[in-house]
Amino acid sequence: MINTIDISHYGTVAESIRIEAARILGEGLVTAVVAYTAGRRAGSVQPAIITSAAEAERLTFTAASVNNLAVYLTKAKKDIPRSGRIGIVVKGCDLKALVGLMGESQLQREQLYLIGIPCAGVLASTVRPAEPLTAGNLAPKCRECDAQLPEGCDYVPEIDLPLPTPLESTYAAEIARLEGLTPAERWAYWKEQFAKCIKCYACRQVCPFCFCEQCLCDRNKPQMVDTTPRPAGNTAWHIVRAMHLAGRCAGCAECERVCPMDIPLNLLNRKMAKELKELFDYEAGFAVNEKGPLTMFMEKDDQSFIK
Amino acid sequence: MHPEKTISSDFEPKVIAFVCTWCTYAGADLAGTSRMQYPSNVRVLKFPCTGRIDPVFILKAFQQGADGVLVSGCHPGDCHYIAGNFHARRRFAAFRKLLEFVGVDLQRLQFSWVSAAEGGKWVEVVTELTEKVRAMGPMMEFKELALEEQWSGAMISPELQDAYRQI
Repeated sequence: MINTIDISHYGTVAESIRIEAARILGEGLVTAVVAYTAGRRAGSVQPAIITSAAEAERLTFTAASVNNLAVYLTKAKKDIPRSGRIGIVVKGCDLKALVGLMGESQLQREQLYLIGIPCAGVLASTVRPAEPLTAGNLAPKCRECDAQLPEGCDYVPEIDLPLPTPLESTYAAEIARLEGLTPAERWAYWKEQFAKCIKCYACRQVCPFCFCEQCLCDRNKPQMVDTTPRPAGNTAWHIVRAMHLAGRCAGCAECERVCPMDIPLNLLNRKMAKELKELFDYEAGFAVNEKGPLTMFMEKDDQSFIK
Repeated sequence: MHPEKTISSDFEPKVIAFVCTWCTYAGADLAGTSRMQYPSNVRVLKFPCTGRIDPVFILKAFQQGADGVLVSGCHPGDCHYIAGNFHARRRFAAFRKLLEFVGVDLQRLQFSWVSAAEGGKWVEVVTELTEKVRAMGPMMEFKELALEEQWSGAMISPELQDAYRQI
């Protein structure tokens, strides 16, 4: 049984994006808009940065609009005009990442013009971008999405979002399965997963939160993490990565999508999110918090594990 | 002919202790000046504060051959830098969950508050951890990883099995 997911409103959404982008660029409200445009293969979509109203007609939004565009506002695209306000198209999960970046003083809300997407889900992979969206090829993060309608945006196309079909969270199920194993079995599982890693650092490059000018893993004095793509260094890298994202990760799952070796990276992130929810009652959301769960403390924090 | 070396088969665990200079280091010093006995298996590394102890240090210690790791600092409220140990407490609460999920036995990782006046508690904590680790045997997981060259080639995921069948 494959149930198709209703994304009939994406056409209207794309049209609204084109009109709004043309308007804000035309009125000089923003200097650039970060959005999606059609890719070269039929049905594929790629990120685009436009700077004039005339270019707005290139913009689109489909179920293949998987990218989290927030990454273009951090380290990767330093050449995006810094002087003016920038328009950006965000899905709910992308907005959570932007909000996190605002909390970490990487971005200011006044510098952004947010075009929110009423999102019904995107594809898990862009191998067959023109495929109709079904429960089978829906991105795992969308199965447990609680942010279909982004909040606090400057513009959201007015659309009656079709009610989502409730789907079981694949991450929660997998985490529960792993938690049920013995430490040795879990170690064996992760050893196999991490051993596949080729250290391409795609997970780091695509992550909006990995914005350090110099990554700990690129430093060699002292060298904390082996740089060679061998099991020891790989394991250390993925543990360090998960730890550095704990309490910050917004769950856009881009790391997992871009991984060429299909390592379940978001599983580690979801596990950490689950633990931080249990320990410190923290969840990534739409509200800007100056302090994350690991940069603040309470005197009454649990210390049952400390002797 | 070289004389045959006698290799002792008795396992002596290596325990690395990351301690804060203001409390636990002073506590360990007190244990020493008070002539209290504790296992010499523990290697003490002094840090300004538990807040300075990065989780990656623990990882590195295991990779370099530690069988057990102890992280110890000032009691809550006693931090020389006001709140370093409160931050450390949260960080390590999260980190130990991550290590557990990856498959590290948390029995090998101990956290404690030992003040400058608690020489006795230092002896107690170190002895207990050393004996626990001794009973568990050497920590092989990270050491084995370091010896491994690459992916084992096991077909663990349906995608890999699919791909293999298509070759």
